[in-house]
Amino acid sequence: MRAADRLVAETVRRGGPWLAVLAVTSVLGAFAQLALPLVLGRTVDALVADGTGAATWLGACAGVVILTVACDTLGVWASGSSGARSSAWLRERVVRGVLGIGPAITRRFPEGELVTRMGLNTEEIGRVPESLVTGAALVIPTAGGVVALTLIDPLLTATLVVGLVLIAFVLRSFLTVSTAIASDYQAAQGDIAARLVDALAGARTIAAAGTADRERARVLTALPLLRRHAMAMWRANARAGVQAGAVVPLLEVAVLGVGGLRLAAGDLTAGELYAAARYVVLGAGLGSALGYVGRLARARAAATRVDELVAESPRAYGTRPLPPGPGTLELRGVDAGGLREVDLVIPGGQAVAVVGRSGAGKSLLAAVAGRLVDPRHGTVHLDGVPLPELSREALRRAVGYAFERPVLLGDTVAAAIALGTDTPARTPGTGRHGRRRTGDGRVEQPGANREVVRAAARAARADTFVRRLPLGYDTPLREAPMSGGERQRLGLARAFAQGRRLLILDDATSSLDTVTEHQVARTLSGELRDRTRLIVTHRVATAAAADRVIWLDDGRVRACGSHHALWADPAYRAVFQAGAS
Amino acid sequence: MNRPIRRALVRDPYQLVRLAGWSVAETAPALVIGLAIARAIDDGFGAGRPATGFAWLALLGGAWLLAAVGARQVVLAVAAIVEPFREELLAHVVDDALRHSVASGRGPGAGAVARANLQVELARDAFASVITVVRSFAFTVVSVALGLATLVPGVLVLVLPPFCAGLVLFSLSLRALAGRQRDFILADERTAGALADMVGGLRDITACRAEERVAGDVGLRVTEQARAARSLARVTALRTASLAVGGWLPVLLVLAGTPWLLHEGAGAGVILGALAYVTQSLAPALGNLVEGLGINGVRLRVALDRLLRDGEPPVPARGRLAAESGGAELRGVTFAYGPHAEPVIDRLDLSVPEGDHIAVVGPSGIGKSTLAALLTGVLLPGSGQVMVGGVAADRLDPADRVLIPQQAYVFRGSLLENLTYLSDAPKEAVDEAVAAVGLTNLVARLDGYSAEVDSGLLSPAEQQLVALARAYLAPARLVILDEATCHLDPAAEARAEEAFARRGGTLLVIAHRLTSALRARRILVMDGTSVRLGTHEEMLAASPLYADLAGRWNPSSRQELVP
Repeated sequence: MRAADRLVAETVRRGGPWLAVLAVTSVLGAFAQLALPLVLGRTVDALVADGTGAATWLGACAGVVILTVACDTLGVWASGSSGARSSAWLRERVVRGVLGIGPAITRRFPEGELVTRMGLNTEEIGRVPESLVTGAALVIPTAGGVVALTLIDPLLTATLVVGLVLIAFVLRSFLTVSTAIASDYQAAQGDIAARLVDALAGARTIAAAGTADRERARVLTALPLLRRHAMAMWRANARAGVQAGAVVPLLEVAVLGVGGLRLAAGDLTAGELYAAARYVVLGAGLGSALGYVGRLARARAAATRVDELVAESPRAYGTRPLPPGPGTLELRGVDAGGLREVDLVIPGGQAVAVVGRSGAGKSLLAAVAGRLVDPRHGTVHLDGVPLPELSREALRRAVGYAFERPVLLGDTVAAAIALGTDTPARTPGTGRHGRRRTGDGRVEQPGANREVVRAAARAARADTFVRRLPLGYDTPLREAPMSGGERQRLGLARAFAQGRRLLILDDATSSLDTVTEHQVARTLSGELRDRTRLIVTHRVATAAAADRVIWLDDGRVRACGSHHALWADPAYRAVFQAGAS
Repeated sequence: MNRPIRRALVRDPYQLVRLAGWSVAETAPALVIGLAIARAIDDGFGAGRPATGFAWLALLGGAWLLAAVGARQVVLAVAAIVEPFREELLAHVVDDALRHSVASGRGPGAGAVARANLQVELARDAFASVITVVRSFAFTVVSVALGLATLVPGVLVLVLPPFCAGLVLFSLSLRALAGRQRDFILADERTAGALADMVGGLRDITACRAEERVAGDVGLRVTEQARAARSLARVTALRTASLAVGGWLPVLLVLAGTPWLLHEGAGAGVILGALAYVTQSLAPALGNLVEGLGINGVRLRVALDRLLRDGEPPVPARGRLAAESGGAELRGVTFAYGPHAEPVIDRLDLSVPEGDHIAVVGPSGIGKSTLAALLTGVLLPGSGQVMVGGVAADRLDPADRVLIPQQAYVFRGSLLENLTYLSDAPKEAVDEAVAAVGLTNLVARLDGYSAEVDSGLLSPAEQQLVALARAYLAPARLVILDEATCHLDPAAEARAEEAFARRGGTLLVIAHRLTSALRARRILVMDGTSVRLGTHEEMLAASPLYADLAGRWNPSSRQELVP
């Protein structure tokens, strides 16, 4: 059994008892559907003949109808419930898998692809039971309808087959036409969207110039073109849909004609004629039954894609706590990506700048130093403990990262800063991030944590602008439009709130204005001076302010010393000139 | 909220007439199906007259062909109703996005635009489906009732009451169904959003070791969505029950009443005909209505809610007044971004006489751009007065002042259109402006003013030069450059600023580099606690922040206040 099929089977099993309900109701319902035309026809025959069996047939009719309705009702319920349970289970598993692997997975799969796999594809797999059972069950009335029809007259079946081929042909020709029209249509849509995005980027110019009305007309230039392409699509749609829609009723009329002749000859009863006509309609549904087979194939393909995400082994954390220490960082023979044979000891409490031309491996060194990435060879120790042996908690409390382009996560500004802090464990009934939702829906941040958040924000010079947001620290992130510099400051605050022993700043002040950067630098050398600081930078001033500079060149440590001593080397000075241009 | 729908329906009455006419054709089979089958059997095949039977079947076949033609025309008529509807929504989206970003100074971004476009598509498709289904239902019910009345009036007593009961049952459950469907759509979107956020932040999640926490958060969304899906499934199952009452109960009643109908003189064909009316026309129409309103009706509502949520009517444009001078005056101006937010600008007094040249200096986020927005009347102060050219800033004719923000606006169009966006300048004036701000090289490279440009074709520096030349050409007496030269190199920046200083009028430069301050006559320093105004020498003495900046300022290191 392939891994993907195992995943499908496992997911399907998570549907629980609903799965059995679905299977039973589908099969029963299918037989009821198949029986209905026959039973209806016989009932009418019996009633007209005023035979003694009329009451029995009437009872049978009621029974079959009730069975059909009951199966339908339960089936809808069961398929919805089992599908929801299955996909939720699979989705949670994939989410944990992806989080366990971490950023490494984005090197293999683009972000959009990951979202599709976790969203749409898990949904498709969750629908497998429904597709499987419904598809299998649909075969009963459709195939049964064809069989019943053949039993009445093989010629009718031949007519039916011709009709089905006709439908398939029509649908295919529709597909080729509509893709061509659709791309024109999307181009017109894209034009409007692109102009709107341009105009929104120029919002301040437009506001000051009072030209919003002109801009509206400019953005909507392609509207008549869009209408033309849209109408072409509607026309193609109408033609194909109508052609396909007329085939089945006409087949039914043809069957009624042929069957009518047999009725006149006395070979058929009126009830049987009615049944034959209904079987044509049932038999024509074979196409949609085949559609379910297609869905199953899609689900298996989806399972292959999702399995690739779950199959990778997650990053393992150790169990050791961090012993007391000053935050001494030691890299021994580290090889990772472009980094080669890096041996470094950074004494606890020092501020160390990492400089080098772009591509020299600065970010990689930063990533390895705090175990964002594991090196291929060599080890990284913090206060004597190899990083992989540290527990997740120990690592979280010890190391804080700030990035050039931080991605902020959380409902509010405060939650985004508190992402890496100690927050009370979530208990049932509490909101996200350990915040309690009060009766009126407001979100409360536990007081102690709130103080940590504000102190970190003050240290990162973010406090002032956050307090100016409409709801201050409780402003929802989505409603707090921020510049690159403001985002960087929140990213710094997040790192300050988290890393008690080691702070790793990967170009994390590049978008700050000089005034703010100067203030942040003062904090780093002031209230944060007891933590070890590893600062990747392009700026001379930052390198000059550090206790020591690590100069990386082409993946190796070219030199390590004070900025003042290194400055004598023209090649060292050239690093900053390249960065400035 | 239903206004766009109502407008779409009454916009072109001809389309409604066309729709009704072709709907009659489309539902022709619903009118004749039972009658044709009954007569074909009773008067034709059953009575040994196959010719009569075929004639009735031919009538039925003809009805189906007519229906096919009608269905095609119905689709086109529906399209003619929903396309203008879509255009109205699209125009609304554009209006809304422009108005909001114009008010806040920041656009909602490409993602939001794409989402809004998707909602418009959804709304259009859902609206088309709702029109189609509701109309088809109405015409089918009338046709079936007429057909049954022609066939055997007595059967109406057996068919209509249970059918109406089913309809009532459905309308009673519609509210619950719509609620659940809506919950599900929203939960689904929230889950997709949570997944996208998570994937976008994987590096940061790992760095914060917040895997467990985020897995819990996303898991919560996933669970909520599954709960919504299950709850929707339950209500959908209940909906099936109303279909059973409305669609199947009539069948059983017709069969139970058959002896009575036979007694009234009906034949086997009439019974089968009545069954055909119910099972082939009435029940499917009811099913489509239930499905269509239950799903697409809700989709339409959700999409419209979302699109029209911020649909406050546009502020009526008040009469604009021409400036009496080129100066500006702020008196006790206070501004905050929300009632609970701290003020960005607090009781500011500032007087800028005509012809002044002021540089504004301070860390980012301190309120410099807010000051620019207040001066251009885009933002209104919470208290105090902003007067420009002797007129309240928000009532000043936009032509009397010009603001060039950091993000230059270059739109798809010719270079000349972009340059003369704020003026009707003749060719010579354009040439002069281009030379003055330093755009000559770009014009040469593009081979003249008629070249088509868009923001993707020009570098950020070139875009800023285009915006600067445009402002240079504008007739405005007050020019505000809000870091409008941040992508230029220091030499190009100096050239552009000097061109504006020579141009005349009042110049307010929100400085990107300290060199801008040195070129100005006076300097406004905003440091978060106070706002001071004075010459370079005065500020060195009065403002520790400014002294600090100037002290560390080194001409060769191209120091930037904001990178």
